[in-house]
Parts: sequence; structure tokens; C-alpha cells
Amino acid sequence: MDELFTPPGVIWRRVSPRLAVVRRAMLGAAAVVLVGLLAVLAAMADVAAGEVVLGLLAVGVAMAAAWWLVGRSVRRWGYAELDEELLITSGALVRRLVVVPYGRMQYVDVHAGPVDQLTGIATLRLHTASPGTSAVVPGLPVDEAARLRDRLTARGETRAAGL
Amino acid sequence: MTGPVTRPAAPRTDAERRATYRRLSPLTPVVRGPLLLVAFLGTSWQQLLGQRDRGLVAVLLAGLLVAGAVYGVASWLRTKYWITEEELRIDTGVVVRRSRRIRIDRLQGIDIVQPLLARLFGLAELRFDVASGSDREGTLAFLPHAEALRLRRSLLERRDDLRGPPSVPSAAPTAEEELLLARLDLRRLLVSLALSVEALLFGGLAIATTAALLMTGTEVLAGAVLPAVLGLALTVGRRLTSYYGFSLTSSPAGLHVRRGLTALSSQTINPLRVQGVVVVEPWLWRPLGWARLEVSVAGYRTTDADQVEASSTLVPVAPRAEVLAVVRHVLGSERDVEAVSLAAPPRRARWLAPLGVRTMALGQDPRLLVSRRGVLSRRLDAVPQERVQSLQLTQGPLDRAFGLVRVHVDSPPGPVRVVGEARDRDEAREFVGEAMGHGGAARRLAGWPPAQPRGAATPPTADTSQVNSPNPSGAESSAALPAEDSPAT
Repeated sequence: MDELFTPPGVIWRRVSPRLAVVRRAMLGAAAVVLVGLLAVLAAMADVAAGEVVLGLLAVGVAMAAAWWLVGRSVRRWGYAELDEELLITSGALVRRLVVVPYGRMQYVDVHAGPVDQLTGIATLRLHTASPGTSAVVPGLPVDEAARLRDRLTARGETRAAGL
Repeated sequence: MTGPVTRPAAPRTDAERRATYRRLSPLTPVVRGPLLLVAFLGTSWQQLLGQRDRGLVAVLLAGLLVAGAVYGVASWLRTKYWITEEELRIDTGVVVRRSRRIRIDRLQGIDIVQPLLARLFGLAELRFDVASGSDREGTLAFLPHAEALRLRRSLLERRDDLRGPPSVPSAAPTAEEELLLARLDLRRLLVSLALSVEALLFGGLAIATTAALLMTGTEVLAGAVLPAVLGLALTVGRRLTSYYGFSLTSSPAGLHVRRGLTALSSQTINPLRVQGVVVVEPWLWRPLGWARLEVSVAGYRTTDADQVEASSTLVPVAPRAEVLAVVRHVLGSERDVEAVSLAAPPRRARWLAPLGVRTMALGQDPRLLVSRRGVLSRRLDAVPQERVQSLQLTQGPLDRAFGLVRVHVDSPPGPVRVVGEARDRDEAREFVGEAMGHGGAARRLAGWPPAQPRGAATPPTADTSQVNSPNPSGAESSAALPAEDSPAT
């Protein structure tokens, strides 16, 4: 782990590995759709068997890369609650560390899509007055997401700072 | 109509006022009507010209005019406003009624705008800037100019009374006393406009097309280029009319920007809401040493791009030293942008930014975060430590190969962006740690106190008990210390 993006000395909490399951399931669904489309195209404009194999191979390679990236991204996603700031680290290729002072939070969103709900995870998003702040923690167990939201809101109130 | 306005009104007069509503100037329909007509003609003149029967067109236009006049008068009759102790209430709408209430203590600023036609009649429009609202801000159009000025002053004074002493920046609340910070004379404005990319393009294109026309005699080229030339000329002309007579003054009510040739506009900006400043030196101005000052103001929203440009500009053009003097005034004397020592990125950054690396720099002190960048046009961005919304470190694969990282300071929407590209990774980590410490101290100093001592506020939830022991190598180590810096000033 790179100490630049996960500074040591604080407790880093990782997101649930279920996030990888959800994302890979969606990836698989996308692959099925893609292969289906390719099959229809191939049937319509009759192509050689070699080309079909080549196409499947390309999809396979892309899927493998995406599979690996999802795993890496989920492993690297984490957050740490300091006294004054929330730290969020993320990124499979482009690595990122976001520091949000509690007093700067405008509101906190917890969002769970249909697939997330099946697996019991949720996404937490912090909003500040700046649109540039990309403070997102996906893959939190639902109750943990709610607890974190409440803690953040409470701290935001005690440290509320005017703009 | 003439209320007691020069002084903050006593509660008794508030009570008197509460019952009585006021109306806009009766000339409002006269000013509004032609505007509607012009808008209509602007959108449908082609269809009108296409009509064979000119008489029909005349009848149509006359009918439109009458309808517009009726509507205007009705609208004027139905528009009322009240000022109570705490609220400004504006009722409008002929068919659909709308009642808007603006809390006076939430007013961020009040702009006075005079479109050309309104100016001929001595009228002005008031625009209320309420930072929290996500929808359009309230307006009062039109009032007699003198009354608009009085209303603005009394509302701003009332706001400061409602907010109480802490938010009034200085002790003497004489709104009449205004300190002139910057004034733009016509000569400098003209030179600065001539030295803009648009003006140069305009000149170049105009000369080229004329030459082509004279030499080859083909009008085809001129026809193709003409719209672009006109567009450029319009852009330059719009800047001329909007910055003409620009002045920036300061009073206890805030910073006042006045400008305009045909349409006068006067804005008030609360310096407490300035989120950051940027001194821009366009490359054509650099030989003259001129610069422009823009600021980000929280919650200041305007719809069209031109307005945004105008409303965020505090000094359109001035010698750099004068601009920096205004910066000191806006940010407060304890923050000195020039005193912040800036550090350049490491030499290896030239592989990623071969041109920019010579001018890029980043630095901070306990009050400010500052960055400099730009190859041709230079810019110096500064954000007060307590205004930082969030800090980010990002590193793409290429940065990673060079051991570099990007430091980004997030600010509310606006022209200001403090950013350090291609920083050394260890230096960047220290920078962020330091900024976290300074930011916490600066926020406490700015008067939003966390009542408890540091660390006590961590909720005793079992699974969050944090080991936040001082740690010499981590970025948090400096964040754990800032209580020491806070008693300054």
C-alpha cells in the first residue's frame, strides 16, 4: 500500500468486498449483452469463424482487465475519520486522497441502487460547497453507512463553519 | 414612498411600515413595454417581413403594443412589496400570483442595474442576492434610482443590525463613507481592450479580408468572414460598455462595484464571502505590467456567461501593484499573498509539463494557500486557509512513474483554483498535512468555535475509537498540533 494515499497512523476502514461482487456482476451482465449483440451482428453479416473467435477473445481480454481493475479499485477504497477531517482514498489507476474537514460538509447522501440493496451495501457521498470535491465511499454495509452518515452529520454540526 | 432611511430605522417605524405596501415606479410599464416589443421583434422579424400585407402587420403590432401596455399596467398594479422588520416581501404575477419573502439577514448583496431605457427615465432595478436559494434571486424592477439607492442602503444596514455586531467588519457604520480602491480610466480601458486576443483577431481578420478583397476582388471570402469579425467586434464592444467608468469602493456594507456605459450596474459584495482571489496577467498585458483581479464569491450566481465574467471581476485592468493592494484590502491586512513563499516543482516535472514547469509554483502560510501557473498568461490564485472546502491528492500512472503527484484545493464555483501540478510526492504529503493543520486553526480563529477541546468531540462509538497518536511520519501529525498556532493575532 502506498503511504502517500493511505497515510499511516490512522485507522483505515476498507469498503466491503461485496462491492466487488456487485460490480463484477454488472460487468458480467454487460459482457453477456455485448456478446449477444456481437452474435446478432455476426449472424446477420455472415463472418468467418476465425473472426468470431477473435471478437470473443477481445471481449474476454477486456473483461479480464476490467475484472482486475474492479478488484484493485475495491481493495484500495477506504476512509479514515480523524478529529477534524474525513480522509477518503481511492483509485485503481489514478490514485486519489481527499481530505474533507467536517465543518465544510454541506450534506451527506446515502444511496443504494437495486443491486446494492440485494447485497446490502450503500454508497455514501459528501457534498461541500465545491463541485470539485469528489468524496464518495461506495460499498459500505447499509447499517455502517447510516452510522457513518450520522457521525459525520453530528461532527459537521459541532464544527460547522460559515462559508 | 420616502421612508426614514438614512439611519437604521427604529422598531417603531418598522411597525408603521409593516402594514403599508409599496409599489414600483409607475413608469415601469413604459420601460418594460418596449423591451417586450423588442424581444418579440427580435425573435419573429423574419416572418413579419415575409408578410405581403403591410397593413396587417401594422395592426398586429399595434395590437401587440396595446396588449403589452395592458399587461404592463396590470403587472404594475399587481406588484407590491413590503419591508417588515425581518423580511422583504415581493408579490408579483397577473395570472399566477407569486409571493416571495426574502429574509433580510440572509441578504448577501444587493445589485443595482440600470438598462439603457430605464436609465433614460431615471429608473433602476434592484437584484437581491440570497446565497442559500437555489432558484433565481429576487428582483424589484423598476424603482426611481435615488430610491433604489436608499432602499439598498437601509436594507444593508438593517441586515447588519439583525446579524448583530460580530459580522459587521468595522465599528463605524456610516454607510456614506466610501473608500475608493480602484478606478478605471478610459485610456487604460481602451489600451487593455486593444491588447486582448479578440481585438487582435478582429484587427487581423479585418485587414486580411480587406486586403483579399482589394487584391482578388472576390466578395465571397468577405461574406464568410464577416460574421466572425462582427462577433469579435461585439465582444470587444460589450466589454467596453460594461467596464466603462468602472470603480471599486469599499464601505462597511461591503465592496461596491460600479460600471457601465449604456446600462449602469452597481454590485455590493460582502468581503466575508470572498472565497478566494486570482490575479490574472494576460500575455498581451505583461509588457505593460497590467493585471486583472477576479474573486470567487460564495453563492453568487448569475445566469449568463457575460454576467459571470463581470460579476467576478473586482479590477478589470490595473498595474499589478495596484491589483495587489486591492487584494490586501479584500483579504484583510493579515493575509499577504506576496509574503507566501512559493516552491517550484522538482526538475523532473519538466518531462510532464515541459513549458509550464518554469512558472508553476505552490505555497502556503498559516493564512493562505497560493499557487502560480500559466505559460503565456500568468495567474496567481490565493485561497484563505479557512475557506478550503477540501484538499485532494491525485496521481495518474504517468505521475506515478515520475514520483509526482497533483495537489488540488477545492473551492466553491468561481474563477479561483489553487492547484499544484507535478509536485514531489513527499513534499505534497507534507503540504497537505500542513494545510490540514493550518485550516483547522484558521477555521477556529475565524470564529466558528468547536466548543469542546480538540479530540473530545469524537463520539464514543465503540468501533470508531481512533488511535490518533502523534505520528512523526504521517500526514496527520501536523493536523494534531494546530492548537499551538491558534492564539496568534
